[in-house]
Amino acid sequence: MKLKELPDEELFTRGHTACAGCGAAVAVRNLMKVLGKRTMVVNPACCLLIFGATYPYLAWKVPFHHVAFENTAACATGMSRAMKVRGKEDTVVMGIAGDGGTADIGIQALSGAAERNEDMLYVMYDNEAYMNTGIQRSGSTPFGAWTTTTPVGKVKAGKADFKKDMPLIMMAHNVPYVATASIGNIQDFINKFEKARNMKGFRYIQVFTPCPTGWRHDTAKTIEVAKLAVDTGMWTLYECENGKVKINRKPKMTPVSEYLKVQGRFRHMKEEDVRKLQDWVTSKWEADERYAQCRQ
Amino acid sequence: MAAQALASAAHAEGGYATAFPFFGAERRGAPVLAFTRIDDKRIYRKTQVYEPDFVVVLDEGLLETVNVVEGLKDGGAVVVNSVRSPEEIDVGIDAKLATVDATSVALEVLKRPATNSSILGALSKATGIVSIESIEKGIMQVFGDRLGEKVGERNAKAARIAYDRTVVGESHGSRVLKASNKWLPDVRELPMGVAGISLDTDAGAVGPGSFLENKTGSWKVFHPEYDGEKCTMCNFCWFYCPEGCIYRKEDRMEFDMDYCKGCGICANECPAEAIKMVR
Repeated sequence: MKLKELPDEELFTRGHTACAGCGAAVAVRNLMKVLGKRTMVVNPACCLLIFGATYPYLAWKVPFHHVAFENTAACATGMSRAMKVRGKEDTVVMGIAGDGGTADIGIQALSGAAERNEDMLYVMYDNEAYMNTGIQRSGSTPFGAWTTTTPVGKVKAGKADFKKDMPLIMMAHNVPYVATASIGNIQDFINKFEKARNMKGFRYIQVFTPCPTGWRHDTAKTIEVAKLAVDTGMWTLYECENGKVKINRKPKMTPVSEYLKVQGRFRHMKEEDVRKLQDWVTSKWEADERYAQCRQ
Repeated sequence: MAAQALASAAHAEGGYATAFPFFGAERRGAPVLAFTRIDDKRIYRKTQVYEPDFVVVLDEGLLETVNVVEGLKDGGAVVVNSVRSPEEIDVGIDAKLATVDATSVALEVLKRPATNSSILGALSKATGIVSIESIEKGIMQVFGDRLGEKVGERNAKAARIAYDRTVVGESHGSRVLKASNKWLPDVRELPMGVAGISLDTDAGAVGPGSFLENKTGSWKVFHPEYDGEKCTMCNFCWFYCPEGCIYRKEDRMEFDMDYCKGCGICANECPAEAIKMVR
């Protein structure tokens, strides 16, 4: 599917209450276009739940199910098995959660469902903190980033730990499909969701979605930041299909400071911390590249 | 934060004050409420303010959707962020009304449309409940403490400029306001499996796709201006729009201002520079 072939119909309608410039809203409206009408959505507590489904309003035009924070994958398991019993195996059951609901709170149900190879698509939209409750750190928050629970003070400034590598954890479950996507790379984004839609078994896609409110950047720069993340190597685009890993886009290895300076959450970072992050990014890319070579 | 700065200003004048926000979605652009209670005695009441003496409206667009003077006491005053004069604004009742173009002040001084500090200057001029000097002190204390001294100074300056520009007058209400409390079905009244169906109620649509009822167009400060001549129909803006309020037509794009929140992504990403953000 090409960009111009995407349908006009919005299965996630306008009028939702996301902040202006929300990256998650871009991801969700477009992935619903790719997945189409035969989709069921399971959604735990996250920004997307609040801005897409606040009583009496609902932005989804497909069956939508709100579940508890930690059991997205468990509920999606039940729904996908029910669909199998009813002979509606062409329905895609999609669990979609934020990084808190995936990498921290929801990981036990997710790991279980992945290990059992349940027939579902699990999407994590990665805005790198608990944005809905007011920007608290999550396992997916990058090193050095300011959040309300990693404040900038005299002793410590920003998060002291590095980002959890969720896609790698999912790949370790030996599931049919694991991919990372970004809202800044349109064709890559469409390809991955199209591929996932047409596959069976457990599929996991992690979408990089900048958040202007929590990352403290201009609302107009959401896509620019997403593209910069890919160019600097902060976010690598790859996919793992039946155990074979393929890098979709080589980062230009632009200095990571280019990425940091457009965001207010990194404003306080000292030069040595930037260097530390740059080293981490470089070694992460080298590791990803080597990993891809090993599993071709 | 402005509610806190006001409380801090009242405290600086020797009074007692409390400030707190309405508990709800904290989302940029969404309508929110904050309350400040000022007294010369110790304050024990912790509830929300239901019968205010003064009402401050940060966004003129809210006048269309919310009855802002609900519960306003006789002899109360309303402060509105607007380019219009007080006489031109109709809040539905006769009231003392002050206006100031706080958005312009904020854009001049702070370079971003954060109007909450400047509107405090207007409140001071319209009501005299606290002096502008105390407001400046309050802003310095609250904004300066959280965001750094320079930011505090700039916000205090914005309040002072807004104070000078505020026009105080009388407004005469003639508009009949729509009743804001509309009936909505209780969750228990809904049929089982309601997620699958759409309902039409007295309060509007409920169920799939009903967010269309919620016009988010009033959130924006800037709106996109589209030049069909330069457009190459690459569809990038259509993909990148978080709202989905850009429609593909045969030979041009169409922008739906009822829903556009004015984020500016389309203008920033357009490779042909066919979109510009204007106020």
